[in-house]
Amino acid sequence: MAWFKMIGTALIISSMGAWGLSGARGIGKRTEELKELRFAIAFLEKEITYMHTPLTRAFERTARMCHQPVSALFTECANNLKAGKGLTAGEAWMQGIEHLHIRSNLKQTDLEILATAAHHLGMSDSSDQRKFLALMQEEIKVQEEKARQEQAANQKLWSYGGFIMGIVIVLLLI
Amino acid sequence: MSAANEMDILKNEIFPFLSPAVSKMFLRVDGKKLGKIEEIRMRCNQPLIIRDADHEYGLDPKTGITADINRSYCVTREDVMRTIAAISDNSLYAFEEDIRKGFITISGGHRVGLAGQVVMQDMHIKAIKEFSSVCIRVAREIRNCATSEIMNTIYSSSNKLKNTLLVSPPRCGKTTLLRDIARLLSSGSSRHKAQNVVIVDERSELAGCYLGIPQLDVGPRTDVLDSCAKAAGMIIAVRAMSPEVIITDELGRKEDVDAVQECINAGVSIISSIHAGTIEELQNRPIMRDLISSRAFKNIIILSRSRGPGSIDKIVRWD
Repeated sequence: MAWFKMIGTALIISSMGAWGLSGARGIGKRTEELKELRFAIAFLEKEITYMHTPLTRAFERTARMCHQPVSALFTECANNLKAGKGLTAGEAWMQGIEHLHIRSNLKQTDLEILATAAHHLGMSDSSDQRKFLALMQEEIKVQEEKARQEQAANQKLWSYGGFIMGIVIVLLLI
Repeated sequence: MSAANEMDILKNEIFPFLSPAVSKMFLRVDGKKLGKIEEIRMRCNQPLIIRDADHEYGLDPKTGITADINRSYCVTREDVMRTIAAISDNSLYAFEEDIRKGFITISGGHRVGLAGQVVMQDMHIKAIKEFSSVCIRVAREIRNCATSEIMNTIYSSSNKLKNTLLVSPPRCGKTTLLRDIARLLSSGSSRHKAQNVVIVDERSELAGCYLGIPQLDVGPRTDVLDSCAKAAGMIIAVRAMSPEVIITDELGRKEDVDAVQECINAGVSIISSIHAGTIEELQNRPIMRDLISSRAFKNIIILSRSRGPGSIDKIVRWD
């Protein structure tokens, strides 16, 4: 009987602990996505300002350079523009952001930063494009920093929290 | 070119670039009525205007083509923006150089002129922003418009090429004619040996290059220096491409004339054009007077629209 209790206790504590740890990893995802997004925007900036690649192709190339879910934004934009429905870059970009919203852990404030690009994207000379794309990277970096601080605090809470919850349940049951 | 063919060009190469609202209206119009259009003009808050060789028309949203411009669709700022976004593939930064010159050439060789608020820097145009007008000129190749009369003028009795100058006011078919001459010289014929041709195409009109590749037929032995300043282009062509003939449009500046002289001295023939109504008008311009009196050009062909574009008014020979 004692063995039985021991195994039950271990099971409860370890499963709650695992749940906490996976929750903690989820918090880290937003930070990772922001970082990925920042690199992707930097790549797009180079494509536009140095290579002068037309926007549709620049989106495609950027999509190939980054991972899901960030790549979904650029794939969607490229597909929208290629469809030839007379969509402007801004409209295609906004639809891309919608797409990203569903698939990612990004917050509304992160997406709002992306949305500011809609008015500028493609429709000015390259020095202007460089300025606003560089600004956007800076803004994403600030978000990333904030996300990292939040992550440090919450991650501890979640990863310890799971085990503590497990112990509490065990104590209550005993 | 047949009317159906012309309509295909408009449908595939022009209409997709117009703003969706305008494009839809055009697609509803009977193709036969659109066959000969040369220009589509869109200006913010003004009626849309279509031009063919001699007339202008409006586009009524309900009834289609109309002669009454006041009933034509009123172009919005959004139409202009969307059209420019489409022709540039939403990438104005990729066309900075073209925009500075005031136009973008699209696939098919059609030229889109732009106007708006100009940004100046050190007395040069840096950019155009806040676009207000778009003017689309449909590129037309008219094959064999260089008739045997013209070709026989260009070839001398010993089958050598003679330096030839086409003279006319705008819209008389100089560019179309030069393009066809380039094609015929470059293709050769049973009577005449094919020639190596270089086209120096400062305004991307002769060959209608898109991403550097000629979109209009300029012949199999033709090299094109696209959007290259005429004088510089003629000199590097002589050095690099060993042409037998150089074809270029609209001579005008002193350095162009100097370059022509240099090419002729290097044994390369020149066929070119110039804006003027008559030889007298030409001689009122000092640079041109010198050019003519130097007898660099052995033929001067004066064109007009008296029997439609490309009518030959007079051929002056100096040999």
